[in-house]
Amino acid sequence: MNIPVGAFIAVSSVLFFIGVAGVLMRRNAVVILMCVELMLNAANLALVAFSRRGGSADERGSVFVVFIFVIAAAEVAVGLAIVLSSYRNRPTVDVDELHAMKG
Amino acid sequence: MIQNVWLIPALPLAAFLINGLLGRRWLKHATGWIATGAVAASAFIAIDVFLEVLGGHERTTVTLYRWIGVGDFNINVSALVDPLSSVMLLVVTVVGTLIFIFANGYMAHDHGFARFFTWFSLFVFAMLILVMADNYLLMFVGWEGVGLCSYLLIGFWFERPAPQHAANKAFWMNRIGDWGYTIGMITTFLVFGSMTYTDVFAKVGTVTQANLTLICIAFFVGAAGKSAQLPLHSWLPDAMEGPTPVSALIHAATMVTAGVYLVARSTPLFVAAGPALQVVAVVGAVTAIFAATIALVQMDIKRVMAYSTVSQLGYMFLALGVGAPVAAIFHLATHAFFKALLFLGSGSVIHGLGNEQDMRKMGGLRRKMPVTYWTMLIAGGALAALPPLAGFWSKDEILSGAFLSGQTALWAVGIVTAILTAFYVTRAMWMTFHGEPRDRHLYDHAHESPAVMTLPLVALAVGSATLGLLIGFPPDQGFIHSFLGPAVAVEGAAEHAPELSTLLGLAGVSVAAGIVGIVIGIAMYVRHRPDPAAVTRAAGPIYRLLVNKYYVDELYDHRVLEAARAFFGVLWAFDVHVIDGLANGIGRLAAAGGAGARRLQTGLVGNYALTVVVGLLVVLVAYGGYAAGVFKR
Amino acid sequence: MSFDLIETILFALLTIGIVGGAVGVVFLNRITGAALLMAFTFLCNAGMFVLLGAETIAAFQVLIYVGAITVLILYGVMFTPQQERPYGLFFQKQTPWAALFVAPIGIFVALFAFSFRDSENPSTKGGDLVPLATSVFRDFAFPFEVASVLLLAAMIGAIVLVKRDDE
Repeated sequence: MNIPVGAFIAVSSVLFFIGVAGVLMRRNAVVILMCVELMLNAANLALVAFSRRGGSADERGSVFVVFIFVIAAAEVAVGLAIVLSSYRNRPTVDVDELHAMKG
Repeated sequence: MIQNVWLIPALPLAAFLINGLLGRRWLKHATGWIATGAVAASAFIAIDVFLEVLGGHERTTVTLYRWIGVGDFNINVSALVDPLSSVMLLVVTVVGTLIFIFANGYMAHDHGFARFFTWFSLFVFAMLILVMADNYLLMFVGWEGVGLCSYLLIGFWFERPAPQHAANKAFWMNRIGDWGYTIGMITTFLVFGSMTYTDVFAKVGTVTQANLTLICIAFFVGAAGKSAQLPLHSWLPDAMEGPTPVSALIHAATMVTAGVYLVARSTPLFVAAGPALQVVAVVGAVTAIFAATIALVQMDIKRVMAYSTVSQLGYMFLALGVGAPVAAIFHLATHAFFKALLFLGSGSVIHGLGNEQDMRKMGGLRRKMPVTYWTMLIAGGALAALPPLAGFWSKDEILSGAFLSGQTALWAVGIVTAILTAFYVTRAMWMTFHGEPRDRHLYDHAHESPAVMTLPLVALAVGSATLGLLIGFPPDQGFIHSFLGPAVAVEGAAEHAPELSTLLGLAGVSVAAGIVGIVIGIAMYVRHRPDPAAVTRAAGPIYRLLVNKYYVDELYDHRVLEAARAFFGVLWAFDVHVIDGLANGIGRLAAAGGAGARRLQTGLVGNYALTVVVGLLVVLVAYGGYAAGVFKR
Repeated sequence: MSFDLIETILFALLTIGIVGGAVGVVFLNRITGAALLMAFTFLCNAGMFVLLGAETIAAFQVLIYVGAITVLILYGVMFTPQQERPYGLFFQKQTPWAALFVAPIGIFVALFAFSFRDSENPSTKGGDLVPLATSVFRDFAFPFEVASVLLLAAMIGAIVLVKRDDE
């Protein structure tokens, strides 16, 4: 493979920061969750790329990625449950309007 | 046993505690007997101590414990038992016992009976500490204590406004004096390195005249405050708002003599600081004549006696100032007896008339209250310095001392004051006991006081009559001179041994002065030649000046208190704005800080996420700097 | 064509896919479109894994991400209908501040990452299922159990959260 590890890391970091930008910019709560998934994917990519660095492939990077899969899935499930539950109270998922915990 | 000397104040202290804690609910009228018993027991011990000192224990220091030991500053709680303090102990306890007995009768119907004897016992304790102390600091403890008790007892009937004002006034004027005392005390320590009498007096020669004068003037300011000398005198007449036993004990026999005792005790200091001594003499003489003039026109029987006390205290300071401290203490002792008697007698009259104090409503009471009359007559004669009553011997010695020390002007002032004294005493006696009753209703209901009140009067009368002869005869060679002389002597003080003829001549002039005063009094009041009312009209402006006490109180109120109030206003503003402002400001700062910090909690999830990212920025910068070697490892 | 060239082209295409999809997720107004573009990004990510030689991981990526998570997101979109708003200003109130803080970080990190340019190439060995499974169930058995408990808790939590109160 003639593509350096750095290139993969660069892609991973760009993806990560686009995800961050999305979290901080979008108003819809579901879209924010989607951007969080993007960030997790960026982390997965970086992990796998690093685990292949050096001569041999280190399995531990892949194991870690498996666990991230698990956690990401659980997090999306619970996160959506929360969004739906909040939608029941006030029919909005606009985070700018959900500020009852102010002050 | 001289070692028992600490029992003397301890017993009244115990009485104070018992009466204070248990008196109101459980002991009630027993408080009177407990307090009286305590003082009487103290009197017996005082007599015993006195006899021991007489028997040869000239000067003993009995130390209880070490109070302060900080570096060079060492003060013990110890008593100096020497002739001077043993005489004072006797005066305080013996006269005190008689007054306590009287008070049991006088205050019998007062609902504050227990409280009265609580404070009264505390007072005796403080006075005894004052007199027994062997250093200026411990004396100051007693000094302050008697000031406090004076406040508490003057304002005893605090439900009325007049006693409140009088108590405050007494305390404030005392405080001014205390300021002087404190300066004197501290300067003494700075200059001599100690506050104990024996240490200080031993080193008098090593100190500059200027320092000594400062110390003495400061102490005299304190004495003036406590003993009601000009210009700090006006609290004493107002103090008559207190019950009569208080007036007798505190404002005649004991507390007001504390100033005299202070100066007498500090004789070595004063003698070495010549100008200070002169100041003492002059102030004493001026006060004596000043107060006597006011006493001429007073209508309240207790006021007459109050101004008389101020005047007689002036005599004592005059004696101290002309170098006759023994005469001063002698007069202190005789004055305690006859002035206490005069006050208690007045109290008996007031009690018999159902609390009437205005002499214009009295008259002819000698038929109704014979015991009171005869005892007061003896006391009045002692006050007017008629031989062979006690007052003659002591006052004559003062006047002789003044004359023989060369201060003829002061002697003349003393003679004039003696005339005035005899006059006003005659006037008071006549208006109260002789003539026709001016208020028939009061006269009909008047009655002699019960035995518990008249017996002390008789005892004091015996003292007033005989004390002078007993201890002061012959002049300059009597018992008291040989007893006290060494205690207040100073090496190198002038010894004058006057001729007998001089002494007799001076005595004759003193007696003559007294008789002149009495004669004028009788002429005016018995025969109405000249008629008192006519004299009053003729002397119009002078009379008004005297009746208004020379407008001293008004002067103080206008000049001094106005300025003081302005200053207090400044202080109060400082307290409210700066100090409270600081305290409140800190609170407001905390609240504002909280309110400001609260703005972080917007409730918007996005803001919180942004905060997390900002944290990430910080971590990345730190890591990057670390990796790039910008930050030290 | 040499294999290297194919790899490079593939890498370029996948990168464009990933970045483009991500930008679409962030800037697209229609939520469904954003969700589908997110799925596309996941797919390209799987391609990246294949390129790196981690085929099992790629398979899992497609199964879990493109399969389960995308569906979940679409369910969420379905159950939270909003008023259709005109295009424009769908940013949060804090967007300027976010731009101020995040842009420098992003740029900084991307540049930093490019400093790995001349580091070594990744090896593409391994990536089989058996070694991975052995690793998970033997060496990392405990974290595996914990992860299952986590899944259980998440499942129960999600059910409890969306339960209606009147049932």
